[in-house]
Amino acid sequence: MTPRSEPSLRDDFAPWLRRLGRRSRRLSAGALLMALTVASGIGLLALSGWFITATAVTGALLAAGAMATLDVYVPGAGIRLFAVTRTVARYCERLYNHDTVLRVLAELRAGMFSVLTRLDGQTLSQLRASEWLNRLTADIDALDGLYLRLLAPPLVAALAIGGVGALLAWFAPGIALAVVVPLGVLWLWLVFGQAWLGMAPARRRVASQDRLRGRIIEQIQGLAELRCYGTLASHRRALAGEETTLYADQRRLASRQALGSALVNLVVGGCVVLALWLAAHAEVDGRISAAVMVMMPLAVLALNEALGGLPQAFTQLGATRAAARRLNELAGRQGTLREADAPHAAPADKPAIALEAVSVRYPATLAPALEALTLRLAPGERLAVLGASGAGKSTLGQLLVRQLDPTAGAVTFNGIDLRDIALSELRARVGYLTQHSELFQASLADNLRLGDPAADETALWRVLEIVDLADWARDLPEGLETWVGESGRQVSGGQARRIALARVVLKEPQLVILDEPFSGLDAATAARIAARLDCWLQGRSVVFLAHAVDGLPGVARTLELLAGRPRE
Amino acid sequence: MLDPQLDNRRWLRDLAGDARGWLRLAGAAGILAGLCTIVQMGLLAWLVDRLVTQASPPAALSEAFVGLIGVLILRAAAQWVQERAGAEASLRIRARVRGELLDHLAALGPVRLGDRHSAGLGQQLVEQVEALDGYFARFLPQMRLTLVLPLVILAVVASLDWLAAALLLLAAPLIPLFMALVGMGAERLNREQFVAVTRLAGHFLDRVRGVTTLQLFNRTADSIDEVHAAADEYRRRSLRTLRLAFLSSAVLEFFASVAIAMVAIYIGFGLLGYIAFGPADALTLFSGLFVLLLAPEFFQPLRTLSQHYHDRAAALGAAEGLLELLGEPVPDGSGRMAAASSDEPRPAEPRPADSLPSDARGTAVTLRRVTIAHPGRGRVLGPLDLEIAAGECVALVGPSGSGKSSLLQLLAGFIDAESGELAIEHAPPVAWMDQRPWLVQGTLADNLRLAAPQASDAELWAAVRRAGLDEVVDGLSAGLATPLGERGYGLSGGQAQRLALARVFLSRAPLVLLDEPTASLDGETQSLVIEGLRELIASGATVVVATHQQALMRLAHRRIELTNHARRQEVGHDAPV
Repeated sequence: MTPRSEPSLRDDFAPWLRRLGRRSRRLSAGALLMALTVASGIGLLALSGWFITATAVTGALLAAGAMATLDVYVPGAGIRLFAVTRTVARYCERLYNHDTVLRVLAELRAGMFSVLTRLDGQTLSQLRASEWLNRLTADIDALDGLYLRLLAPPLVAALAIGGVGALLAWFAPGIALAVVVPLGVLWLWLVFGQAWLGMAPARRRVASQDRLRGRIIEQIQGLAELRCYGTLASHRRALAGEETTLYADQRRLASRQALGSALVNLVVGGCVVLALWLAAHAEVDGRISAAVMVMMPLAVLALNEALGGLPQAFTQLGATRAAARRLNELAGRQGTLREADAPHAAPADKPAIALEAVSVRYPATLAPALEALTLRLAPGERLAVLGASGAGKSTLGQLLVRQLDPTAGAVTFNGIDLRDIALSELRARVGYLTQHSELFQASLADNLRLGDPAADETALWRVLEIVDLADWARDLPEGLETWVGESGRQVSGGQARRIALARVVLKEPQLVILDEPFSGLDAATAARIAARLDCWLQGRSVVFLAHAVDGLPGVARTLELLAGRPRE
Repeated sequence: MLDPQLDNRRWLRDLAGDARGWLRLAGAAGILAGLCTIVQMGLLAWLVDRLVTQASPPAALSEAFVGLIGVLILRAAAQWVQERAGAEASLRIRARVRGELLDHLAALGPVRLGDRHSAGLGQQLVEQVEALDGYFARFLPQMRLTLVLPLVILAVVASLDWLAAALLLLAAPLIPLFMALVGMGAERLNREQFVAVTRLAGHFLDRVRGVTTLQLFNRTADSIDEVHAAADEYRRRSLRTLRLAFLSSAVLEFFASVAIAMVAIYIGFGLLGYIAFGPADALTLFSGLFVLLLAPEFFQPLRTLSQHYHDRAAALGAAEGLLELLGEPVPDGSGRMAAASSDEPRPAEPRPADSLPSDARGTAVTLRRVTIAHPGRGRVLGPLDLEIAAGECVALVGPSGSGKSSLLQLLAGFIDAESGELAIEHAPPVAWMDQRPWLVQGTLADNLRLAAPQASDAELWAAVRRAGLDEVVDGLSAGLATPLGERGYGLSGGQAQRLALARVFLSRAPLVLLDEPTASLDGETQSLVIEGLRELIASGATVVVATHQQALMRLAHRRIELTNHARRQEVGHDAPV
């Protein structure tokens, strides 16, 4: 990692603002609805106050026997109109805006996942699975606040302050100025001050919540060992440490957020009093009527609603920012496999594979994983690559299926560099049983169909037969529909391995790479499967990756690797 | 069956009892803030009345203006206390719930949790517990003041003008009715929402974990579509919830707005003298304006409550998931005769490092007519009779699926026997190692100390050496302080397995349970490990190992063959050590 300067707030949010910009029409409509709601609220209170005072004054005149008239119908209708628009506008606004935001989020989620699917094997293995999950769900969710809490509300609040200012200025510009200045300062504080106050603890809170989640997942995955060794308590202490940090920051944030809310009430209330005080003088001077004098503080009072949501939103800005930044890092990550601009079609003939002086060097390691390896595999040939763990077998496997590009040299498929072949075409022709086989949380049938989505049940039973699991599957109460749990825990390790093998068989690839296909199996089962596999492998090009050649069917040639080089 | 909803509510109520003081403080501060608002509105109306009807010069009223400012300050302070105390209550409760859940998960053990996604559980312990926040921090204190403040306001309004109070009251009873109707639907939907969120999280992690597999099987394009479809389905579901949730607050808004409009028009007409009945002719600008200002405040607590209503629904949804987890029965060690079934690790006397009580060989493990069954898989083992002597090494052999792992899990206390009796002489620690070495993010030393937190560096090195890992560690510039990523990034499969084995050595547990310990090791490393295991056996540990490998079987004093179909045991011949 090279130390880089911290991205600025603008850097963190810019890509997301651009993305939101693409839906600007929907977003402006949403903000307009929001503004309409606030305006109706201000109108309702201000007009009611004006109306009551006007009627009181007129009533007093009438009682004194003077001639006075007041149009009661227009203000009455106005009051009713504001009452209805406020309700309807708010309901529509909330629904409409949430729909918009969730649409954006669904796109983001799929977009981020697709970033992930383009990464190479080396990059993928460096990241914690729980971190990925978090980025994809919580971080993207956190971004819904960007528009709903951080963009539209301050904008609407500023508009509302401006609107009330304009209303007041219509009657008395001096009063408007006196009120708008402190309200403007309040707005600035709520947006910038609260964000500044909350930034550090909110970001720390997100980080410690992440670490806490990671620790909890670790503890769940390691319960067997922790319980057996009686060391749960000490692991729990590490967890408690994360919790303490988390709670301390939550406390700090609650305090600062409460400060913001109290300030809204104090300043808006203060402006109400100020408006009344100044308006009273203006009324004495005869510049405004009594009804307008009452309308002024009430219009200011209604601003409470427009400003009320800002303290929470901006105190927690750091959390949204942390989410945005992590997603940016993910999107900008190196280690993406490049697709050729004009990819070749993979040749239809049986694959002949060649490695020409291929070296692979991982970042931050001293020794290369593979060094100047030259290797040829004729069509239909079976090669066993042998070596201890760490000798470079898995690296070789990853190269052949292009999960990894060589640092130097080239891998060719019937003479064409793998980098020039469309990834999807290449991978359609290669089957690779990796060292760690992942089963998905789905039925047994769904797990098998990964190899061929169109496979019918007969085909599934056929491959289960090959891996010697058909009898076992027939005995299962739910048969092919049996749910296979996380990392296949509902099935034993050996069974999970065989299901993964069955998946590869179902794919019917032309080039087959099998990494220790029989590990974790007893000798009898391994022999049975090897015999059936031998049959199925006829005519395919095969690379076995193993510790020893024993039990691997039909191997014509072996290559022994030692620390990334062929053993002499 | 009890109504689960009732259970959820009761659980939340019990939890609230834990932070009663803070919640009371929050409620009281909220009520104080509400009372300040009433006084503030009264002062405002009084000032306006003086200014308009009495034509008092503003300067003559400056004391009242100052008083108004004072009330504002008091109100802001009370509000701060309310928010802060609510947050504190919630924080304490969440900390407690999280602790209880962790205890419970520990007691449930790895096998009971086997069919749950660890990320799903992580999500429950972090996000679902956090989802309780709004309920305790905001909803509960708000509820308290919602019970008090509207009544106070109504009394004040009634004392000013009973007809206006009647207008407010007219709208009021409709509100709880609507709220209940809307709330019931929202609650159900909210619970569905929680299930959807958890499922979405599981869906994601599954695909994220298996992204390599998806790449290899050329299914990335489909899976991106799937992810989009799942997220869009989540949007549709969320909107269904939100439509109802927003409706409840819209209904409230509507009544509040209409009531304010009616009160305003009534007061206006009354002040004009158009209303000839009731108390209308006694209205003044003071009482009229005061009533008008109080009208929104009458509805405000309920409106705020309805904004926090989703907090309650979220908490109930979370409560359901969490209670379900807490309600999962813990293995009770039924059929166990010795004290080894304890869920809580208790201090045990570790086996001395070198001394060997060779003459003190008793029986370490006794099984009588033991059977094991898994839900959904039926009986996987037994009935089995077995005695293992202290210091003996027993190999469990047989085809995969014959119950070797289950027997080890039973011995470790992760599962209960279906029937039969089991006795284990030693209390924990027991050493455990399975096919998937478990590694945490941290240094190599951290990973080793998982088995013995107090171990010295010298002890760590000794264990590393015995596990045949010393050459690897010697080659690292940071040695034992080298950091590892999740699932042991940086170590090969075999190295990770040897690290787990080093933990076994480090723990000095008298009973060692090994599940395919050498399955992923090459010949050279395997013999290193077997050398270490031989030493372990020689030091007097009782070892039970499930394996397919001849070399390990040869190491054992005895083989127990478990068969797949007949599911009965055949004790093999003693093998030479």
